[in-house]
Formats: sequence, C-alpha cells, structure tokens
Amino acid sequence: MNHPVIELRNLSVRLGSREVLRDLSCSFSGSTIGLLGPNGAGKSTLINTLLGFWTPSAGSAHIFGSDARTDAKKIRSLVGYMPENDAFIHNMSAVSFIRLMAELSGLPSETALERAHESLFYVGLGEARYRKLGSYSLGMKQLAKLAQAIVHGPKLLILDEPTNGLDPPARQRMIRLIREMRDSGQMHIVLCSHLLRDVEETCEEVVILKQGRVVHYSNLADERRSNRRFLELELEGTIDGFVDAARGLGCECAPGAFHRWKLVLADNVEVADIYRLAAERNIQLRRLNFRRDTLEDIFLKAMESTNGGL
Amino acid sequence: MSDRIVFDNVSKFYGDVLGVNRVNLSIPSGITSLVGPNGSGKTTLMNLMTGLIRPSRGDIRILGLTPDQPEQLFRLVGYSTQYDSFPKGLTGYQCVSSYLRLYGFDRARSEQLTWAAIDRVGLRDAAHRRAAGYSKGMRQRIRLAQSFAHNPRVLVLDEPLNGLDPLVRAETIALFRSLAKEGCHVILSSHVLHEVDIISDQVILMSAGYVAAEGNIQSVRSEIEDHPMQILIRCDRPGELASRFFAEDHVVEVRLHNDRRGLLVKTQAPDRFYLLMNRIALDGFEVESVAPCDDDVNSVYEYLIGAEEPTR
Amino acid sequence: MAVYKRSYRPYSGEITPVWSRFLVLYRFSRRNLFRSKIQTVFFVICLFFPLLCLLGIYANSHLSALAFLGQRTGPFLDVNGRFFSIYLDVQAAFAFLLTAFIGPGLVSPDLANGALTLYLCRPLSRTEYVLGKVSVLFITLSWITWLPGLVLFFVQASISGWQWMWDNLWIAGAIVIGSLIWIAVLSLAALALSAWVRWRIVAGVLLLGLFFFGAGFGRAINAVLRTQQGYLIDLSQLVSIVWHDLFRDLGEPPLSVTEAWIALLAFTSFCLYLLMRKIRANEVVR
Repeated sequence: MNHPVIELRNLSVRLGSREVLRDLSCSFSGSTIGLLGPNGAGKSTLINTLLGFWTPSAGSAHIFGSDARTDAKKIRSLVGYMPENDAFIHNMSAVSFIRLMAELSGLPSETALERAHESLFYVGLGEARYRKLGSYSLGMKQLAKLAQAIVHGPKLLILDEPTNGLDPPARQRMIRLIREMRDSGQMHIVLCSHLLRDVEETCEEVVILKQGRVVHYSNLADERRSNRRFLELELEGTIDGFVDAARGLGCECAPGAFHRWKLVLADNVEVADIYRLAAERNIQLRRLNFRRDTLEDIFLKAMESTNGGL
Repeated sequence: MSDRIVFDNVSKFYGDVLGVNRVNLSIPSGITSLVGPNGSGKTTLMNLMTGLIRPSRGDIRILGLTPDQPEQLFRLVGYSTQYDSFPKGLTGYQCVSSYLRLYGFDRARSEQLTWAAIDRVGLRDAAHRRAAGYSKGMRQRIRLAQSFAHNPRVLVLDEPLNGLDPLVRAETIALFRSLAKEGCHVILSSHVLHEVDIISDQVILMSAGYVAAEGNIQSVRSEIEDHPMQILIRCDRPGELASRFFAEDHVVEVRLHNDRRGLLVKTQAPDRFYLLMNRIALDGFEVESVAPCDDDVNSVYEYLIGAEEPTR
Repeated sequence: MAVYKRSYRPYSGEITPVWSRFLVLYRFSRRNLFRSKIQTVFFVICLFFPLLCLLGIYANSHLSALAFLGQRTGPFLDVNGRFFSIYLDVQAAFAFLLTAFIGPGLVSPDLANGALTLYLCRPLSRTEYVLGKVSVLFITLSWITWLPGLVLFFVQASISGWQWMWDNLWIAGAIVIGSLIWIAVLSLAALALSAWVRWRIVAGVLLLGLFFFGAGFGRAINAVLRTQQGYLIDLSQLVSIVWHDLFRDLGEPPLSVTEAWIALLAFTSFCLYLLMRKIRANEVVR
C-alpha cells in the first residue's frame, strides 16, 4: 500500500501552556518540500514532532504510514535528520563519529564503517575524514552533519537550515548535493530554511507555516510550467517610451527593483511584439523570463493575507 | 575626504598569521557589502574599521577621524558582531539602554533613543523579556538595535541577516536602505550573494586577506576583461539561432545546452549583442528566456575567488 | 571496461537487533578508554590486588611451595567472609579511582556540542542511551570487582571442596551484590556529574569531593548534633554498613541496615533523575 511520505491530520502540539501547532493538515508525497515560515511559526516543533520528540496533543502525524506517537523508533530508522545547531563530538574523528551514528541506526559494524567512508566521500569530506571534528571549519561541520544524516540510507531526509553560515562555494556544494540526492530518486527531502533562494533551487513543493497553521501550499514545479502570460524583464536604455508603448498594446507594466519590470501580456500580444518595441526604441532586454511570482512574493503575500495587512 | 572611510595601504598581521594585506579602499556613503569566503579577512577589516584593532601598517581614516581620537570616533561608529551572546540576565531593553548610557546620554535621552531603536527593529512587545529567551532572529535584531541606537554615521554589521526569516529580512533591508539614504555608511558582510546584488550600492570582494575587487558591481563586471559576458537564451530553435550568432564578430563562443532547448552565448560586446537580439527575435524565434549568467556578484565571485574550493 | 560513478546509495542490508543497540555505546567508549596509556596502566594496576589474593590463596594451601622459603608450614590465611570483605574494600577503592578517570568523559562530550540530538533522532531511546553509558562503567568495574572476586571464590572452593563451597556460598552472593551496589552508586554519580559539569577534570574532582566531603560533613554533623544520622550523607559509610551486613560481620553499625539501603536507593534515584533531566533532544527556553 502506498502511503504518503508525511501525513498530518489535524495535528496540534502544545508546549507548556502554549499551543504551538494548531490543527495542521497536510499530505506530502513528492520528492522535495520546502518548509517555510517566520520565526516562531512552529517549524522546529513540527520537525521534532515528526521525529517523535514531542507528543501531539490532538490529531496525528504519520510518516510512511507509521504513527509518530507510537512508532517513533521505526520512523527514526527511516529518517535522517540534519539539525540546525552544532551537533558533533569534539574529540572524535569524522569517520568514527559517522560510524557510531550508523551503528546506532542499526547497521552492522563493518558495513557501518564502509558506509561512513562512503558518505564522507560523497559529501566532499574525503580528504579530511580522519581529522577530529573539533578541528573542522563551519562548512565542514555542516557537511559532516549531512553525512551522518544519510549514512544509514534513510528514505526521508529532514534538513534544517543546511546552508546556515556557509560561504558561497560551500553553499553551492550543499545545494548541489541536495539536488543530486533529490534527482537520484532514492529519498524524499524536507528542507527547512529562511533562505528562499535555497528553497527555490531545490524544492518542488513549498508549505508555509504561520503561528502554527498552514497558510499556504504551492507546487513550484507546476507553477513554473504554467503561467505563460507573466513576463519579468530587465531593461537598459530609455525606458519610459517603451513602457508607454507596451501599455498601449494592452499590457500591464509594473516596476520592480533595479531596472526590473513585470509585464502581463495582453491576450493578443506575444514576446515577438515586445522585441519589436525594443528594437524600435533601441532598448536592451537584458533579462527576460516567464515568471509569475517569485517565492519571495508568494511568501510575503502569505504573511500579509493572514495578518490583514502588515 | 571627510565623508569617506579611507584605508591607506593597511596591513594587519596576528603574529605570523595574515589578517589583511595592503588594503586600499575609499568607501562612500550608502550600502557597501563585504563579500568573501570565511577566513578572507572580512572580520579583520571590520574590526579595523571600528577601531577595535590597530593596523600593523598603514593609515585608517573614518570620516576624517583616526582611531587615535576615540572619544569622537566611537560616537560615529556602530558595530554589530556575528557572535551570538549577551550579558546574562539582561532584558532586550536593558541590552540596548545599558550601552547607551556608556555614551554619556542621560537617562531620559537614553530611554528615548532605546525605544526609537527597538521600535525600528520591531521588538517593542518583547523588549522586557530576557534576551536569553529570544529566538535567533530576535537576538539578531536586538544586536542591530544596539548598534544604531546612538545614531552613528558609520554602521558596521557582520552578517546582520543571519537567522532572519524572509519577512524580517525584507524589513531589515528596508531599514538599511533608509539609514543609507540618511547619509549613513552601512557596511555589511554577507554570504547570500543574490541579496548582496539587490541591496548594495558597492561591493568589496575579499580573498585570502586581499581586496580582490571593489566598486559598483556592474562596473566591476565590465572591468574583468578576460571573461566575456555569458548569456543563456532558451528558445525553440537553438541551433538556428546559434548560426545567426556566429555571424557576429563579437560572439566568441556559443554552446548548445544539454536539453537542446537553449544555448549559452559568450560575447565581448553585450550592448551590441542585446540590440542584435531585438532584430533576430523578430525572425520567428520563440524566445522563452534570456538571462545574463554572470552579471552578478555570484559570477564575479566565482571568477575572482573561485567556485567550490576543496575542503581544507 | 566499466566506469564507476560514486553517487548516493540507499541501504537495504541487514539491521542489527534493536535491543543490542546500547552495546554500541559500550564498544565505542571502550575504544576511547584504552586509548589513553595512563588509564590502561591504571586498569592493570587495579588487577594487582586480586592477583595477590590469588597467589595468597594458592600459597595458603600448597604449603610445600613455601617449604623451601623456610616459612612456617601452616596456613596463614583464613579464607572466609572477612577475607573477601577486605578484598572488596580494597577493590572498591580502586573502582572509585577508576570511575573518577573514566566517568566524567562519558556524557559531557555528547552534550557539549549538541551531539545528543543526533543520538536521539535514531532508534535509540533515552533509557537505552543511559543504559549504554552505564554499561561502560558496569562492565569495566565488574572486571575489577566481582568477577575476580568470584574467581578467587571458586579457586578456593576447588581447593577446599564441595562442602566448603556449599557452606560459604553466601559469600559469593555477598561479593556480587556488594559489588553491584557500589558499581551502581559510582556509575550513576559519575554519569550525573558528567552530564551536568562540562569539564572532565572538574567533574572528576567533584566525584572525589562527593565522597570525601560527604564523609567529612557527615562526621561533623554527628559531632555537632550528637547523632548518628549524619552518616546518611556519607556514601562510603552507607555502603560499608550494607557490606558488613552482607558479609555477616559482627559489630554495631551506626545506622540500621534498612536505613542505609533506603538512603542509597534515594541517592541513586536522585542521580538517575538528574541524569534524565539532562538527556533530552532539545531544550525549551522560556
């Protein structure tokens, strides 16, 4: 029987006197989903509940068909978790540490050692794997965290702020790894991050939490495929005449930041027509793509709509 | 010039270890971003700018003042570090106001400035809670409030957007812009390059203690001569489009994309190229997207500093 | 020719049984234990006294071995409850020192940098984690307390015959139970300290202090208040009372045996409680 990867049914979680998650219902079966929301929205609590650390006060959470409340151990053997905070043992070498984690996940001793080496090579720490974790730089520690999350071959990977504090090359490596794992088709990934760019580059679906509720769900892949009427342009040259002419054709135009413009094509207007206008006025169309809303727009809209205006 | 931050042949060594080497900068007002890998000298540069450390060689002038004039200098400068720690037991309000008292403001004025700063970062409701109980984003915002509460003219911020959710990021960026518009020199360091692209007026790229590039990003880009401009075009007949491009003398390379629906063009004269596109596009090509691949900080970074360094 | 690309590989092989996972912790800690030369040497030293006792027992009965040394040819040792009681006293002291070496480094490295979250996000419950850490101390200390003790007992039994063994079987029980109590008290105290105190040396010193100060204060209270209740905080005294009871030593214990047992139980429960408070996947900050 095919269970959804994560299924939440009216999930409510209470911490102390506060109700942190309220009546969450959601179902995820795709390959990657981004979990977004402002601070305090309940993302960490949700992750902790899925891992079985908090018990729901109402409703249920199922992962691969198992109840997080009662089958926590079974779930944990199928899940790999990369926490946001530091998580390492100072005096252990990377290989020993990953091996320990693998054995605790149930791998036999020799296999654990093999896979520890493999996963460290895979994330790019091959050269440094015999060094103590305490001597690692921040980027390397993040990669080590990723290595321990995948060493036991989980079916679901939960990443909490994986690119936190990483400099651009390290971030690119992390994003590349996430994409590779996604494309390998062997696991599902939940990515929790404040950096919308990261989510955009890796996730197919997005769910936005606010104050413990789901306020928005998007399938980014679908959205990219549809929406052929919305253009985003970056223009160079004397713009005003161009904009007026575009409006004259029936298109709506709105300025964005730094020479960017959003255009809604009227029904009988094609891209070629826009190019004609540009050719006539010697405008450079430095950038052009079909895009309705960036993830940032979606996020800000989701925040606004439940606030009744910021 | 007394409206700039000037570094004149500045070097800083910690024993044998290099902090920064022969740095020459002249930073105007507005938002300046410091970009570079970890360990490239950004924090050293910031510490030099705020007068916390002295250079081993060279001169620093901040709006005409030197670190030898601390009484005046430190009033002008505000600093928000990357370190996430607070004196124990203080509330958010106290974190800001106690430092203000050190500037010599009396109680009433200090209270007024504190609330102004706290309001600006949107933490009025939580101001009387302990800072230790704040979420990561709130702690970041209180640090920011602390740094500009005394209305400095130079604001040095080390990774100020770290840990902030997208909403608060946007608000904080708006805050920086308004400060910059008031004539402030806002210097911030960040790893999130596409944000740096959007918010900065100028960029300083650092690598291994040297300044690799500085200035407005477009002008930096056009100065990197040995890299012709790369543009990615997605359309329905890329092969045919490619042959049209080859006819031009400024196009040095055209590469077909793997999925046969796009091509990568390298041209030495982007302006001419775009105007050419306007004409070619009218010949029945269905253009899906046009995107310069390297007109941004990301690519400049890659060219000058290198992508994906092996783990050290 | 084949070109092998290294990419992510899922795992679908065998899985170790769930109940045995806590032993993984024991195995890894053991490796660290014997990495340090000082600790290894000390461990060996802890086995000297049992070895001495073994030689004594042997010499005791094979008197001819002594004849050439010109010693008197009579048994010089009375291997009875008293003998093993002394043996346990000595080994308990060594066990105490060994715990001060090993104990503090067991839990604090896991807590210092947040690694505990990674432990607990695996199919490992908090109880199993504690069990794993306790087993390190349990197994190591067993090697120097009741295991050699039982060896000595059975060696003596093999020399003295069945009757002696049946008559003195209670001694074997006393050795085992006495050791287990001591191990339990030491382990839980050490682990609780390791969980709450970050620096190994400080935790080690505190462990020593716990026992010595307890003794000191206990006596002080007794002297000042003219009572015997002060011994309730003197752990070594409490254990000693229980041992004297187990080994059927005559003599007036300052507190009743029941009181001693209860006090020890309270202490170990308290340590366990402290330990479990610290072993959490995440903290909630108000």
